[in-house]
Amino acid sequence: MRKILLLGLTLFLLNAMAFAQGRVVTGTVTSLEDGMGVPGATVLVKGTTIGTATDIDGKYSINIPAGSNVLVFTFVGLTSQEVNIGNRSTINVALESDVTALSEVIVTGYGTQPKREVTGAVSSVKGDAIQNLPLQSFDRALQGRASGVQVRSSNGLPGGAVNIRIRGVGSVNAGNEPLFIVDGVQLNNQSNASFTQSNPLAFLNPNDIESMEILKDAASAAIYGSQAANGVVIITTKKGKQGKAKFEFNAFSGETQPMKFLDVLGGSEWYGMRRNAFINSGVPNPEANALSNMGRLPATWQTLTRPALDAIGLALPTYDWQREVMGAGRLQNYEMSVSGGDEKTTFFLSGSYNYQEASFKPVDFKRGTVRLALTHQATKRLSIETNINLSTFQQNVPFAVEGSFLGSPAFSSSAVLPHNAIYNEDGTYNTAIAGVLGQNVVLVNAYNSGLQRTNTVVGNLISNYKIAKNLTFRSLFGLDYRLLQGDNYRDPRTPDGAGVIGRSSVQSDWRTRFITTQTLNWNKTFNGIHNMSAIAGVEYLSETREGISGAGIGFPTFQFRTIQSAATPESVSGFWTGYRRASAFSSVNYDFKKKYLVTLTARYDGSSRFGTENQYGLFPSVRVGWSLVEEEFLKNSSTVSEMKFRASYGLTGNDQIGNFDARGLYGGGGNYSGSAGIVPSSLANLGLSWETNNTLNLGLDFGFFENRITGSVDAFDRRTKDLLLSQPILWTNGFSGISNNVGELQNRGLEFELSTVNIDKGGFRWNTSFNITKIDNQILSLYSGLQFLPANPGIAVGQPVGRSGEGAVFSQEYVGVNPATGRPMWLDIKGNITYLPLAADRKYQGSSLGTVFGGLNNNFSYKGFELTTFFTYEYGGIGGDGQYSFLRENGTRLTLNALREVNDRSWKTPGQITDIPRNVTTNGGNELRSVGRNSGTASLLKYDFIRLSQLTLAYSFKPSLVSRIGLSRARIYMQGVNLWTYTDYPGYDPEFTGAGTGQVPLTKSYTLGVQIGF
Amino acid sequence: MKLINKALLSLALTGSLLVSSCDSLLQVDPRQSIDADGALTTPDAMNAALNSVYSKLRSARLYGRDLFAVGDALADVGVTTSNSGRLIGENNNQPGAHFGTWQTAYFAINEANLILDGISKVEGASAAQIARWEGEAKFLRGLYYFDLVKVYSYIPTAIYEQGVIGQGGIPVVTEGVISSGVALSRQTPRSTINEVYAQIYKDLEDAKKLLGTGRGVQYGSSPAASALLSRVALYRGDWAKVVAESTTALASSVGTVLSGSAYVNGWRAPVNPESMFEVRFALAEESIGVNESLQSTYTALLNLTNKNSQGGWGDFIPNATVRALFGLTALQIGTPASDNNNWDVTRNADVRAQLFTTGNTVRGAGRQIENTKFLSKSGFAYADNVPVIRKSEMHLNRAEANYQLKNETDALTELNAFKSLRGLPAVTLAGNALLEEILLERLKEFIGEGHRFFDLKRYGRGIVKTTPAVNLTFDDFKILPPIPQREVDGNPNIKQNKGY
Repeated sequence: MRKILLLGLTLFLLNAMAFAQGRVVTGTVTSLEDGMGVPGATVLVKGTTIGTATDIDGKYSINIPAGSNVLVFTFVGLTSQEVNIGNRSTINVALESDVTALSEVIVTGYGTQPKREVTGAVSSVKGDAIQNLPLQSFDRALQGRASGVQVRSSNGLPGGAVNIRIRGVGSVNAGNEPLFIVDGVQLNNQSNASFTQSNPLAFLNPNDIESMEILKDAASAAIYGSQAANGVVIITTKKGKQGKAKFEFNAFSGETQPMKFLDVLGGSEWYGMRRNAFINSGVPNPEANALSNMGRLPATWQTLTRPALDAIGLALPTYDWQREVMGAGRLQNYEMSVSGGDEKTTFFLSGSYNYQEASFKPVDFKRGTVRLALTHQATKRLSIETNINLSTFQQNVPFAVEGSFLGSPAFSSSAVLPHNAIYNEDGTYNTAIAGVLGQNVVLVNAYNSGLQRTNTVVGNLISNYKIAKNLTFRSLFGLDYRLLQGDNYRDPRTPDGAGVIGRSSVQSDWRTRFITTQTLNWNKTFNGIHNMSAIAGVEYLSETREGISGAGIGFPTFQFRTIQSAATPESVSGFWTGYRRASAFSSVNYDFKKKYLVTLTARYDGSSRFGTENQYGLFPSVRVGWSLVEEEFLKNSSTVSEMKFRASYGLTGNDQIGNFDARGLYGGGGNYSGSAGIVPSSLANLGLSWETNNTLNLGLDFGFFENRITGSVDAFDRRTKDLLLSQPILWTNGFSGISNNVGELQNRGLEFELSTVNIDKGGFRWNTSFNITKIDNQILSLYSGLQFLPANPGIAVGQPVGRSGEGAVFSQEYVGVNPATGRPMWLDIKGNITYLPLAADRKYQGSSLGTVFGGLNNNFSYKGFELTTFFTYEYGGIGGDGQYSFLRENGTRLTLNALREVNDRSWKTPGQITDIPRNVTTNGGNELRSVGRNSGTASLLKYDFIRLSQLTLAYSFKPSLVSRIGLSRARIYMQGVNLWTYTDYPGYDPEFTGAGTGQVPLTKSYTLGVQIGF
Repeated sequence: MKLINKALLSLALTGSLLVSSCDSLLQVDPRQSIDADGALTTPDAMNAALNSVYSKLRSARLYGRDLFAVGDALADVGVTTSNSGRLIGENNNQPGAHFGTWQTAYFAINEANLILDGISKVEGASAAQIARWEGEAKFLRGLYYFDLVKVYSYIPTAIYEQGVIGQGGIPVVTEGVISSGVALSRQTPRSTINEVYAQIYKDLEDAKKLLGTGRGVQYGSSPAASALLSRVALYRGDWAKVVAESTTALASSVGTVLSGSAYVNGWRAPVNPESMFEVRFALAEESIGVNESLQSTYTALLNLTNKNSQGGWGDFIPNATVRALFGLTALQIGTPASDNNNWDVTRNADVRAQLFTTGNTVRGAGRQIENTKFLSKSGFAYADNVPVIRKSEMHLNRAEANYQLKNETDALTELNAFKSLRGLPAVTLAGNALLEEILLERLKEFIGEGHRFFDLKRYGRGIVKTTPAVNLTFDDFKILPPIPQREVDGNPNIKQNKGY
């Protein structure tokens, strides 16, 4: 778009060009980055007004008047170059990218703005930065790229959910996910699917992204009103550029690897541990009991001596169940794009195929996408545009997304007793599995099957009509349509399928979102110093979701795996839900000589989700800026190249609640004795309304030494008022809670972003970008003077609410074991040691929300070689990990395997100072008159980590070299993702959300790739 | 220029559409729910609403598991196997490991209240329908209140108040809540124990009058109300009432008292003929599942046909006391020993011993002697109709009441008649020994049905067991569960049970 505008501008200049005698110089202007011709670049004879523009191949021809000997080549986004002509008649120049990005343009709400004029807190991530990362959805790629944006993968399911928090957590019971907009279409963001997670953002090939802008402060986001409380992420996809067709082929392939295997005990070790536990508990025949637990007690045991039994236990073998079900996975990506166009029409067409396996087979992700972006200048005034994304992806589903399911390899493989053989000697599955798990997960995994498919169309139709010179009307119609289908089969040969003789479950879920936006854009400059622009528009959005699901049981044989073969329908269900929103909005920008900048916005939203008394809301904002570099005292500074103070204040809303939460309803449910029931499902709240975010933002953008050092600092105070809280209702009144607007929450933070060009000499270049964010999150007030929520004391005044609004960790402090006896000890509320902590002894310990996070990117390039290292980090979150907690029990409560490091630390001799109690077998593995060994903070973990998220080594062949074989560009690279993590986390991985039990962990990956342009 | 007009026109149209008809633009009605206002104005809606009140009895916190299994785990009749780790805390009588019936029961009570409030507004209802709705709703409300008060409060026959102020009964609410105003403001205090029992009497007496012999044992009926009243009176120490209601219930056509092998077969039938009121599990999707169903709790067997099939957890099994009462020891009946089908148990003459056998080795604790009263008799895995009141109970209630009324002869006669139904010889006992024998007979009759804990509680007795080693005296606070903390935090009028 920029290039087209510039082309127009230069054509205009061309008209003004004076005619002169002289020689003719011809040549081509190319971009150093990709070696492609640059259309529309300006070629100017220095010291004159004589100039021309390059054609669509980047070629030019210019008359040089006598006496002139220097040509100046300029293009937006590229560094200008001056070239001495000498006596040459052909001059080819390759322009470098202008990394200092003085003239960068930022996409903001319903428009664009030069970065210099942005007065809100907006972070921008270019598509290049996340290119070719083996990630299925772009949200995952945002991690560490922008300050204030906290990203955590929910698990390692390819295409699984990602948890994004922009500037903390603003809500307890309403959603905390930002609004995602792709090409003007506001996306639905539900990642729920019946049999796995289906990330709604995985429909888009991340390599089709041109840029992502994150509107962080309320004032920038306020134009999106009631959707914007959690920030807005605007994705702009790649568009065609004028010029001859450019083909780009891009492929990478590689392997995923588990980041970690848990170091669990072997067969004889587990026996020894269990035997000692029986001895500690004073149980007679400890050897026999331990062998009995392991299903290895000989029938004749009473005739054997204790040493003989012990010998049996100590000779038990070890089988590595984790390595049987976890391992390397394949990873592939192929894509092809072609773009180009002429003066009237530009296009971008791409197709891609992506495949990735998780560390736990057969969990995988397979996607195909087709994308088309087309613009056409129909008349001088009218241009039309369309962007269409078609996508289908298919996932082999895990046994369960999370949970302590015996059949789930992610849960059972580390927990099954290790002396159990996986296969019998004849190669068949061993089905006699001793211990609580009692089933062969390798068999279960091999026999069950399931698929989840997500088909998506996200597209728009846009027309722009230039009503007058400075007045444009824009009309957008967008669609986000998804069809999720899945089936899942519990094989009758597996324990979960045996009881019902096989179960097939199926699901279909349609999600349709329609949006239309009509806007008028106006701008004018008065007297050359007062610049004004304005946008006014209306918008309408309607979403419906509809689904059916069913399950059938009783299959003739395991070969019959689809629901029509079921003997008995087990369940049939369905749902329908929907909501609508209508809005009007306006924004006005004014600046005085680009020095003093003001933006006012307002949006008026009406939503069907809220109570009839409160369906409409107004969301205003104001932003001001003072660009110091435009002042006389800095204008000619050689040190300071950019300096701008920003301040903003705005109101945004959060409407992420159930579609009918304001209604008092009776729903279907409570069938009895074969006939249907109805049940009161919710209480009416006619006054239910938005939760509002008021954010005050103060910021400073700076640049030094011709912007070799640039960065920004932001401080914010984000307050959520009228929290959409599920206000507890006494159960004696028949309901659990009601959605109500009560309470106030605060997120305060500091953000810092810095980009530097450390070295740029002799072709060697070293860039660094770094960002860090510090967040403080706390509840300021609840209702009726309550200090904590009766139903969840973790929601308390002065305490953080955690990543998902689950509340602060509220538990008794664990202080290790009594060195004399090996009994676990906690502190009571007075700070005294107790063996039996009570509810009253709980204290606030922090929350799952990391308080400090960010990223560090280093990029080194030299003569076509390029090395990128990218680290992300997070600090300050605490919480549990269900998988670790099970293993931390050290086999005492249930016959599960144990972690070696935990068992090594368990108390064995008086005087030993440790945190793991003595092993016992009675009382569910706990001392008599004690509580569970994982109680209180005993099993609490720190989620801190520093991770080498990306390491890339690339080589770009010289354009002059590859052009001989008809290529314009060739690049090869090796890439590693998540290669190294610094953490003392004892579980699989500190990065997850949820309980952590039986979740598929993230993987690392290695890829080799090639990019070819022709 | 035409294009301009079109463009402006479309903007103007859209704009005016938004402005002029915002209200209808924002109108979206749910399709799978109806507005609560006026939801209960048709006979069909009343029937459906009533179904939901019944269905809550299926909850694992109520008759789905806890009212049976937790009742036994807290008492002195069984041990846990640690197979799934469930019921260990309850069996150890640890603080907080107890019943948790509050939420489900009060939700059901609210629904019953809404039905009772709404009856007068139903259009086109017959008198018979009205009587049935009111009768069944009151029967259910009485049952829910009884199951709450017996758990959360002391029982009238043994109210512990030595040195502590009793915290009374439970909150009694008889008006339905459907608006947010009342829901947020009503903070009902605990009624006295006597008030709660009076309310239960009132509901059940009304039910008795309003209902006939009913429409099946899965629904409330007049005889079922009498039977329930007999039990409530037993807990209240209203002995004459026990005798009267038991006699009425026994005389009714609902339920059959079985003996000998018919009794054992009764437990193998989908609907136990002994049932006077049972909770129905009619559809596969209603199954409580492998983790918490009664079958899974009591046995690792999937069925009796093949003991090697992997079934549930078998978390809670009879202890030595119970095994001795029925003469149960593991017995190998074939080879190889590794085949679970080659194992059974020795039994004494008590027909109830037939309900026990050996399980299988698929779970951690190995082959154990298990209770097989629940074995997927509804026709799908892990679902059994749960007999809330069996007719046999009436004999035991009446015998005990007669003993308390000093009619020891009647008591002994009834006890011996009952013993003979179970294949046991008559006894000649008097005084306290007779009472103990009646209570022992109850223990044997109701293994797995959750009575034992309340029978001990009724007589103010402690809980003594050797495995696990527990000596819980009756003055220990752990006899009562805590009222859910949220209810105490959110309701200043409620006093928590002591010790919590």
